[in-house]
This record gives sequence, structure tokens and C-alpha cells, in this order.
Amino acid sequence: MLVRRFVRRIAQFLIVYGIGLAGLLGLKYVLALSDYVVPDISLILETAKEVIADYIPAVFSTLSVTILGQVISIILAFSVGIAGRKSSWLGSFIRVTAYNIQAYPIVALAPIIFILLGDGFISRLLIASMICYFPLLLSVLGVMAAPVRDIEHFYRATGRMTWQLEVKIRAFENLSKLTTVISGSATLAMAGTIVAEFVAANAGIGYSIRTALYQSDLAKIFVALFLIGIIISVYQGLLETVGTWIIQKTSTEASSHE
Amino acid sequence: MQLVCDNLSFEYSDNGTIVLDRLSFTMQGPGFHAVFGPSGVGKTSLARIISAGITGYTGQLHLKEIKTILYSYNMERLPGWSNIGNILRQVTPSGCESLLEELITVFDLDSLMHSRFARLSLGQQNRVNLIRYLVQDFDLLILDESLANVDEKLRHTILLHIKERFSDKMFLSISHNLMEIATFCKKIVVLGSRKEEGREYLLQGMDVQRDREVAQDIAQDMLPDRKRLDEVMLEIMNAC
Repeated sequence: MLVRRFVRRIAQFLIVYGIGLAGLLGLKYVLALSDYVVPDISLILETAKEVIADYIPAVFSTLSVTILGQVISIILAFSVGIAGRKSSWLGSFIRVTAYNIQAYPIVALAPIIFILLGDGFISRLLIASMICYFPLLLSVLGVMAAPVRDIEHFYRATGRMTWQLEVKIRAFENLSKLTTVISGSATLAMAGTIVAEFVAANAGIGYSIRTALYQSDLAKIFVALFLIGIIISVYQGLLETVGTWIIQKTSTEASSHE
Repeated sequence: MQLVCDNLSFEYSDNGTIVLDRLSFTMQGPGFHAVFGPSGVGKTSLARIISAGITGYTGQLHLKEIKTILYSYNMERLPGWSNIGNILRQVTPSGCESLLEELITVFDLDSLMHSRFARLSLGQQNRVNLIRYLVQDFDLLILDESLANVDEKLRHTILLHIKERFSDKMFLSISHNLMEIATFCKKIVVLGSRKEEGREYLLQGMDVQRDREVAQDIAQDMLPDRKRLDEVMLEIMNAC
């Protein structure tokens, strides 16, 4: 099941990548473009052999920032989402603030972050977290602010409701939605990290793409994109598997010694 | 123990629909009482007003010797992260464990304690839900179709047991089951479109108890006072 999921995800990526590449190559031959504009397959393969040893560590560096950034954004989103779930003034203020701030493009703030914090690890992490954080926050706020009346009624009526229980009920009832959102946010975290690396960082696959861009070397960019696609497919597949496992575990029949 | 509704009116603020219009009645003493009427006449709204789940009504609600009111309804659910036995035990006040075990047996749920709530049938879910209310401390428990989808024989067994075991508590049953209301309830408030102004339909039910050993008779349609039951049911239907 796990292997099949990974194979399916990677196959889906390969199809999309193949279609994109085929489209570009098609344009190349139809418009008689030079290898400088669109490299042919042999040049791409040759370039891959040359740069793969550098690009694999770079893509793993990007992945590590992605994972860390995603974890931070999940913690932040749940903290703020839980605080903003109430229909009180504070809850309403947090929700409105979150909705307004998320409308602002984080990428536009990236230069400020790099000016203030430099082009190191922290800047990459911060931008990755911020890009991943707001969509996550909106989903968490949506889940946490919606009462599950059929379950919560008893606990409220009997004075047993605590904020921890309320959060537990709402999270459990929306487990499928939350795991899907978390899994989907991996792409955003990866995009955020690459954007950060592309704008001004000094490491990671985004930085490699920027270098290739300055060299006008499209073959290197194709190789980088290929590695990014493979790594994000595997990472998302892993997150989906964990999400499915959690849902299955919580919905299966309780054992006698539970 | 007294519940008095005095000129109680309620309308939905969003569309102005009048749900209750100057409703007045008095219910006295512990035991089973009922609110009966066709769908949409305000039974659930009345229950939620009594249990403080709705505000913004006009009129007066007087409660005497009724401090704790609980409201249970038939679509309630238990959390799904543990089995029913665990969830029930977690919400049972200390000292009520034996009551819980007794009710589990009477409600015929012994074999389901290791199951998750979502795996149960609707009738089983309703029985589990009702048990967790019965083990709480309450003076008035409103049962809004709380035994819906439970088969008739078991429902009668449960009702008779509740009446006997909680003889000092007041219950307000909301049900569409005419025969059940007429058989088991003391006072029956009938809400309906034919209500004349200034006149509430507060009828007397048969208030059958276990000591008359009628459970079997009811199940077999052999109630000793069948004629009286028919009359009560007819009265209720005429009042609707």
C-alpha cells in the first residue's frame, strides 16, 4: 500500500514532467530553437550527470528547511487557530487579523527579511514557514471555530466542557480535513523554501536554480525541477500515509483492553 | 417540583416565524410528562427554552424545586476516539458507577461496550446517549425523541424502568409516538394548529407504572384498560 502510494505519486509527477518537457522540446523543433534556448534530451542527460552530485545534497537541504518550516507553521497555525476559535472579541480579532494578513503576498516581504536577517538558514526557514502558515491557519481556524453541536451539547449541558476537550472534539471530527490540509501544505512549504533560496539564500536547490538562471543554463534548471518533483512527491506521499494511518487507527474498533 | 410556563411566546428573529404563541401550562410533581404535537409546532423550541438553550422569548418560566435541567435529543453523538464503555465511565459521576452498570443491562447494551459509537445502529446510539444523561445529577430531564429508533418492546421496558428508578425526578418527553405518550405520561401538553386562543390543551395520560405488570401486556396489545387508552389517544388527536 505504502509502496503503491509512492509509485503512484512519482508516476503522476513523471507524467506531468514528461508532458512539460515534451511540450518544450516540441516547441524547440517546431520553431527550430537552438540548444541555448531549449536544450535537447542528450544535453539534459549530460548536464544531469555533471550536476547531480551537487544537486542532490542541495535538494535535501531544501527539504530539511521545508520540513522544519512546515512543523513550525503547523504549531503556529494550531496555536493561533485554537486561540481564535472563540466567538469572543479576541477570537474575532484574531480571525480578522489572520484573514487580512494572509492576503498580503509573503514573497513581497522576502527582501525585507533578507535585509534584516541576512541570507542564511533563518531567513529561508522564516519565509518557508510564513508561506505555509497562512493557508494552514485559515483551515485550522475554520475547523476550530465550527462547533460540533451534536457532540459538544452534552459536555456543555453537564458543565464538563474544557477548552482542551473542545479542541479535541473538533480536531477529531475533522481529522480527515486536517491531515489533507497538512499534507497539502508540504507543497507550499517547499515552494516557500525555494522562493527564499531563489531570492537571496546561499544554499539549497532554489539557490542552484538561481545560479543556473544567471548562467542561462536551462538544462540545469530541468534537472533541478526533476529532483524537486521527485522529492516533494515522496514527502507528500509520506505525509498522506501518516494521515491515512492516523485516521484508520482512530476509527478502527477499540480493542478489549483499551 | 413544578414547571410553569406563563404566556410563553417565541419567534425566530431571522424570518419572524412565530413558533410559540402565548403558551401557558403547569406541570407538577415528579414523573413523566409530555409535549406532543405535529412537526414544526415548537416542541423542540419549548424544550430549549426550558433548558436555557434559547433566549429572547417573552413570557415567564417559573421553576420550583427544579435546579438542574438537562436536555437530550436523538441526534446526539459520543466522541469517537474511544469505545462506549470508556466514554460512559468518564462522564459518570463518582458514586454512580453501579447505576451505570444497571442501566447498561436494562438498556440491553452489555455487548456493545467495546464498540465505537459510530458503529452502532441509531437505536443503540440513542440508548447509549440517554444513559449518560440518566447518570448525571438532574431534577428535570427533557427527552426529545431520545428513544427514537429503539424497538417498541425494549422502549417500554426502558421507560418503565426509568419511571421506577427515577421516581423523584421530573421528565419531559417529546415524542411523536401517540400511544407511548398516552400510556406512560402523566400530563400531556398538546401543541397544535387548532389551539383556540386562551385555552391550552393539557391532558391527562394513563401514567402506567411497572407495578401493574403491563410491559408484557403493552407489547402484546393487551393493556387492561384499553378503552381508556383509546380515549386518551383520541383526546390528544382532537387537540392537535
